[in-house]
Amino acid sequence: MDQKISMENIFQKLGDLKSFFIYGQKLIPILQKILDFMQDTVPLLENVNRSIQESTSKMPKAALQINSVTNATEVATTEILDIVDGMAVDVQGMQSKLESLKEKIGDDDIASLLALVVKIQERMMNITISLQVQDITAQQLSSVNHLIQSIQEKLGGLLTELDNKENDELTVDDHQFPRDAAFNADARYDKNTNSQELVDSLVADNLTKASQAEIDKLFAKQ
Amino acid sequence: MALKFLVVDDSVTMRRIVANSLKTIGHDHFVEAGDGREALAKLSTDDTINFVITDWNMPDVSGLELVKAIRSNDKFGTIPILMVTTRGLKEDIVEALQAKVNNYVVKPFTPQILKEKIEQIISSAV
Repeated sequence: MDQKISMENIFQKLGDLKSFFIYGQKLIPILQKILDFMQDTVPLLENVNRSIQESTSKMPKAALQINSVTNATEVATTEILDIVDGMAVDVQGMQSKLESLKEKIGDDDIASLLALVVKIQERMMNITISLQVQDITAQQLSSVNHLIQSIQEKLGGLLTELDNKENDELTVDDHQFPRDAAFNADARYDKNTNSQELVDSLVADNLTKASQAEIDKLFAKQ
Repeated sequence: MALKFLVVDDSVTMRRIVANSLKTIGHDHFVEAGDGREALAKLSTDDTINFVITDWNMPDVSGLELVKAIRSNDKFGTIPILMVTTRGLKEDIVEALQAKVNNYVVKPFTPQILKEKIEQIISSAV
């Protein structure tokens, strides 16, 4: 009786083994496909890794170039301001000579020339006002530099983790990047007056509140 | 009252533009500082400065930190301060007002706006 049970167990085990082999035969092509896929993917990943390394190592140079653009625009803006200042002195000289001529001769043509001088002065002031764009774009470029530095830090960390070793080329050295200037990432050269109107309403509101606070303080004392 | 301005901005261009704008609206007396630290040093040594025009975004000591430092100073804590900055968001303006700036101008500005704000500050101080 015991012998019969043992044989039934053996046949059951053999049946299980057969199912396992059948399942294994079905699994082999799938494993082969996974293996092929991995063999194809490894060079691709190595390529991606190399590209990231190259891009990352170029980032400090890009940041320095952006910084040199800012410096160049600042120099150029200063030159323009020098020229405008020189012109302002000349125009002012012309204005005073025309005024003394007008007193002596009293000609209508001189009056119209004086009006023209005022117009030139206004236009020169408009040039000066427009040059504020240099400061605003400098802040935008500083914001880009800050982003580049952050990306390099993230990529450098990622590649170090993948390689499991420190890579000197990818380690972020503060000296590689230009000095982190103070900036407003939202700086915009926008001549519409919406922002100033918002300021004015908030300032007015603040002044009203302050006055009310002072009144309350006064009544509290009484 | 003769005003002597302290113009604080890390941008050489902006200091120059503010200075030119001040001259245009009839104010010829001003000194300059490149950041908040330099501004505080100038305020400590020059008693004739009676108006501060400052930017917000500056290295080391920012404009907002400068305002707070001025307001907590016994010697020059009541000096009028006008902030001239690119920061035009509501929360920025509120933060500056809470730090007790007297008024606020968003860049780009015109000499007329500068004049208007200076006059408002002076008239409210009288």
